[in-house]
Amino acid sequence: MDFLKNLGFDPVLLGAQILNFLIILYLLKRFLYKPVLEMIKQREDKIAEGLKQAEESRATLEKSLEREKEILREAELKAQRVLGEARQQAEDAALQINENAKNEGERLLLAAREQIQRESKEAEERLTQKITVIAHDLVSKSLEGLISEDEQKRILRKTMDNLKNVN
Amino acid sequence: MVPFAPEPIVRLGFFNVTNTLLDAILVDIIIIGIIFAMRKRLSLVPGRFQTVVETILQEFYNLTYSVAGSNASKIFPYFMTFFIFILIANWSGLIPGISAVGLRENGTLVPFLRAATSDLNVTLGLSLVSVIATHFLSVKKLGPKTYLTRYFSLNPLNMYVGLLELIGEFTKLISLSFRLFGNIFAGEVVLGIISTLFAFVLPLPFLFLEVIVGLVQALVFSMLTMAFMSVLMTSHAEEISKEVSHQ
Repeated sequence: MDFLKNLGFDPVLLGAQILNFLIILYLLKRFLYKPVLEMIKQREDKIAEGLKQAEESRATLEKSLEREKEILREAELKAQRVLGEARQQAEDAALQINENAKNEGERLLLAAREQIQRESKEAEERLTQKITVIAHDLVSKSLEGLISEDEQKRILRKTMDNLKNVN
Repeated sequence: MVPFAPEPIVRLGFFNVTNTLLDAILVDIIIIGIIFAMRKRLSLVPGRFQTVVETILQEFYNLTYSVAGSNASKIFPYFMTFFIFILIANWSGLIPGISAVGLRENGTLVPFLRAATSDLNVTLGLSLVSVIATHFLSVKKLGPKTYLTRYFSLNPLNMYVGLLELIGEFTKLISLSFRLFGNIFAGEVVLGIISTLFAFVLPLPFLFLEVIVGLVQALVFSMLTMAFMSVLMTSHAEEISKEVSHQ
């Protein structure tokens, strides 16, 4: 014990130093190591989560781009198909219109022809009637006083009959 | 000449407030200051100070994990606290002018502060905490029965080994405390003598040497504690299975 006393051993001081160290141990453990290590863990978790989310986002983006391409391809095909159909419909419609116009033209032409024929015939009939009247008048005027009335009537009837036969 | 025993500065009845106790309080203030500074700045996006503290803690935790594995979380607080406390205590004795401020008693200067680890009471106290905590963690981890089989057995060979282990526990206490005390006290003496002989320049290499010694001794004490804790928290069966797996 003398040896320890010579080195400054003091049980009270020893106890005080042990207590001092235990207090520091508790303070460091409670207020430094625990929060700092928890913070590191929290950060690691956050980074891992961030990386995972980034990977998921990248995969989603790739999928979206792929889907976008697919939609564009489908839209292009659909547009081409619609365009083709529209062109076909337009061609059909044009053909139909042409056909209708042709038919209408022909119909109008036919109607016009018929009307012309009818009007020509009417004019001809009217002309014939007029000529007959004129011929009747001319013959009756020419024969007036030359022959008897009966003879006149007979000639006139014969002329009228002849004229009718000519027509 | 620096005396072995710490010099009393104030007497409070039977309790002597020595210069090493004051130095231990200074170390406490520094550590509490670090805790406050860290708590104030602690955030998910670390600043420079937080990065330094986090890097040190992380590296020491990884070191503990590489040695103790799953027991690392239990051992780490002791390992880290021993390192921080001893390092600051060792380096506190190197603060320029620390031994020049004090009381003059009978013509000799008694400095207010002297490196806490140059006091046997401090180093012995630290060793006691280290050894008792080691056994406390061992009992907690392995259970009293498995813990006792390390020291006591009916097998004569194992009984002999157990006896050696028991002696080993006491030598741990002595080696840990006297190694630290011897190194730091010797450093105090060397620096005291050199500073007395040469006031300028020449003490610098010794001062630098003491910085290294202070760091190495803090590491030695804390790493030995970690190793002892790791060994005692592993049962014989686990040790054998580890050896087999290594082979």
